[in-house]
Amino acid sequence: MSPALRSCPTNVSPRSAPGDTDIAYLRVVDTDGYTDWESVYRDNIDRLYRLMYARVGNRPDAEDLTSEVFRTALGPLQLTASKGEVRSYLLVTAQTVLASHWRRTLGLAITSIDPESDFNALVEPSGLKDPTDAPQRAAKILDALPDRYRRILELRFLEACTIKEAAHEMEVSVSNAKVLQHRALRMAAKVGSEFGQ
Amino acid sequence: MTDRKLSAFVDALVAGRRPGSFKAEPADAEVVRTAIALRAARPGDAIPDEAFVSDLHQKLADQASSPVAPNVRPLKVRRARAALVGIAASVALVGGTVVATDSFNHAAVTTAVAVPRGPVIRTASFETASGSVLGQIVVYGGHPSWVYMNVGVPESSGAIKCKLQLNTGSVVAAGTIELHRGTGEMTKTIGVDISRLRGAQLFNSSGAVVGSATFA
Repeated sequence: MSPALRSCPTNVSPRSAPGDTDIAYLRVVDTDGYTDWESVYRDNIDRLYRLMYARVGNRPDAEDLTSEVFRTALGPLQLTASKGEVRSYLLVTAQTVLASHWRRTLGLAITSIDPESDFNALVEPSGLKDPTDAPQRAAKILDALPDRYRRILELRFLEACTIKEAAHEMEVSVSNAKVLQHRALRMAAKVGSEFGQ
Repeated sequence: MTDRKLSAFVDALVAGRRPGSFKAEPADAEVVRTAIALRAARPGDAIPDEAFVSDLHQKLADQASSPVAPNVRPLKVRRARAALVGIAASVALVGGTVVATDSFNHAAVTTAVAVPRGPVIRTASFETASGSVLGQIVVYGGHPSWVYMNVGVPESSGAIKCKLQLNTGSVVAAGTIELHRGTGEMTKTIGVDISRLRGAQLFNSSGAVVGSATFA
């Protein structure tokens, strides 16, 4: 499955400025296609789930949203489209599904999917590369925090400790651990914002 | 109050449960985003469960064997979210035929729209000045070109006026969304090169801007 460079009118960048109409925006896409919806599903379910999980941080929502993407996308699917076009189509669907999810649950766009910049998440061989840079980003944020803030977040988020277990580990009361976590998260958010997460 | 709900949201994330909904403040967004980033760094849940993969496969197989005509997907206009997803997804694919719903100032009327090869789609979110998301807008460049949008303005009733703007700032199309229980949607054909669109603005009945969207 070697990618080939070809002109893809579908992928003409919407960021075109007036006067740019003669510029062809190209993307490397796979020239081969899928034979049936099941091959679309099998080839993309793993990576699409991982991408969605990285955007919502929990399995139940990631499963629901991934399901919604496939239920929506497979209906009008044209199997004559190339793999690259099908993946772009899945990503556009995922973008809308995720935006609706945040609007419905928190009323704010917390995270998003960009069909352009997230395209590689559906192209990288599954399991060989994490479709996100979550571990690196988390490490960068944690490294910038004071020791106790970093530790409470490590215990909670990376070591899956309950608040009681984290409090015991840090030799503080449960209520103190809650306050510590709250302050640590606020500071981590500030750090993450400065890093442009 | 928000802090308590935010803490509950974070606790659910840490425990791997589905977090509850709450009206987040802009200051909460970065905290939630950070919590998700930290949680996503923990190995395990990032891999799809085998049972989930096989169950969804079965559901899709059932859907594929339903008597709906191939490549034609009716949109459920009662649910703005599903409609937006359906429209955005359908027009993103080359060479298909979709069924779109013209609900602009009318009761829902379903019409078939042939999608030509090589459509272009642009999407954006309507946001308030403080960053709260009010809805989504999708514009499609084809024959015909059209715009679809849905908005939710809980404290409003009546009508919301929408204006589409060109890069030059001039208004090229306008329409009115009738709100029912604070939400509404509209679809309208437009005669404009969508690559020249900058965004859209929403106005309440007194003419004040309630939200705007900028295409990336």
